[in-house]
Amino acid sequence: MIMRTLNKHPAYELLASYSAGSLPLSQALCVSAHLEHCHSCTRQLQQLNHVGSELMQELKPASLSSDLKTRLFDSLDSLDEAALNAMPETTTKQSDPSVPRCLQQFIVDNYADLAWKRVSTDIHSVELCRDANGAKVELLKIKPGGSASQHTHLGDEYTVILEGSFSDESGLYQQGDFIVKDSRDRHKPVATLDKPCICLAVTEGPIQFTGFFTRLLNPLLRRSYALKQLSQY
Amino acid sequence: MSNMVDRNSSSETLSELAHCMSRVANERDKSAFAALFDHYAPQIRAFSLTRDPGADLVADELVQEVMTRVWLKADRYNKRLANLNTWIFTLARNCRIDYLRRNGRHISDIDPTYIFDTLEDNSSGPFQQAQQNRSEEGIRAGLKQLPREQAEILTQVFMEGKSHQKVSEELKLPLGTVKSRVRLALKKLEVLIER
Repeated sequence: MIMRTLNKHPAYELLASYSAGSLPLSQALCVSAHLEHCHSCTRQLQQLNHVGSELMQELKPASLSSDLKTRLFDSLDSLDEAALNAMPETTTKQSDPSVPRCLQQFIVDNYADLAWKRVSTDIHSVELCRDANGAKVELLKIKPGGSASQHTHLGDEYTVILEGSFSDESGLYQQGDFIVKDSRDRHKPVATLDKPCICLAVTEGPIQFTGFFTRLLNPLLRRSYALKQLSQY
Repeated sequence: MSNMVDRNSSSETLSELAHCMSRVANERDKSAFAALFDHYAPQIRAFSLTRDPGADLVADELVQEVMTRVWLKADRYNKRLANLNTWIFTLARNCRIDYLRRNGRHISDIDPTYIFDTLEDNSSGPFQQAQQNRSEEGIRAGLKQLPREQAEILTQVFMEGKSHQKVSEELKLPLGTVKSRVRLALKKLEVLIER
């Protein structure tokens, strides 16, 4: 059996796309949630931003119409006035500090107050939003010691652990860890016993159950996914 | 020798520009802002035209948006924490993301401000201290030495803003090859950090 090293960080080339701003926003959310916990990836991102900056300086500068500059300079004083008159930001309500900043647009208070829906005896979920490419962004909560049914995915699945920890066939994952599974990976995550595990999960296609009974659900899932995809257009 | 001169003059320019930034932040000095505009606006315009050749109006809008943010956020820039060129690059990137989201065929429910603006505001965040990173001169020299296909792929990713999937379709290469080529280029630049 080949032992793979457990990869708990976004791949370098994924971080490069994040730095370039070309990742779908749902994936960028996952990277951002990871960055809040990971010092080395934050440093790595600074380096990549530096590469982007050097590449930008190597471009042949494109000349501008003087008109644009004049218009901008004419607006500077009114920009300052508008900024002065803007509402002070300090009055906005603060989310629970354990919620990553990138998720505070969806979670105004804390995880407990969300409208969790029961998926199985062990799992609750709450959908946060959809990305422009149809990917589903949701939180999953696995009860202590609970497990998700063994499943695969039609597309890629991105997971970041926000609270607690879980293990699957490849090892133990803890708070902040970043996991990508593609359609060839089958896995069955099990939460550790000490507390519930809350994950941010982005799925690009419907999941496929591979257990004997749960397999019967697959046509239904595919149908609901296809309908949702259609409704995007 | 000529390289030497070039390098010195570019770091001099950078410290002059950083000085302009503090004059803008502290004194709302418009002539200092004009110096910043003259230096960065043509670069930002080129950045936009590299992704969308011929789209002059889009490029003008990006210049206007980025330079407006420079004027309004000048006091958030901290030269001990970030190189000014890099700060401008992240602003330009963020403005491009906003523009693409507003004008995309399908609108994402996700507001990128919450994801990316923390990074341009480098006075906050849990990892404040500046790290000893590979110098800009090192990266610049490294870029000049890259094999052509690796330099090209970095331009496609960072400047043209293409996904790996798109690059793989255009170059008719497997996705895995595109990814490993990006990684190889970054490794050659000596910017990869052990994790």
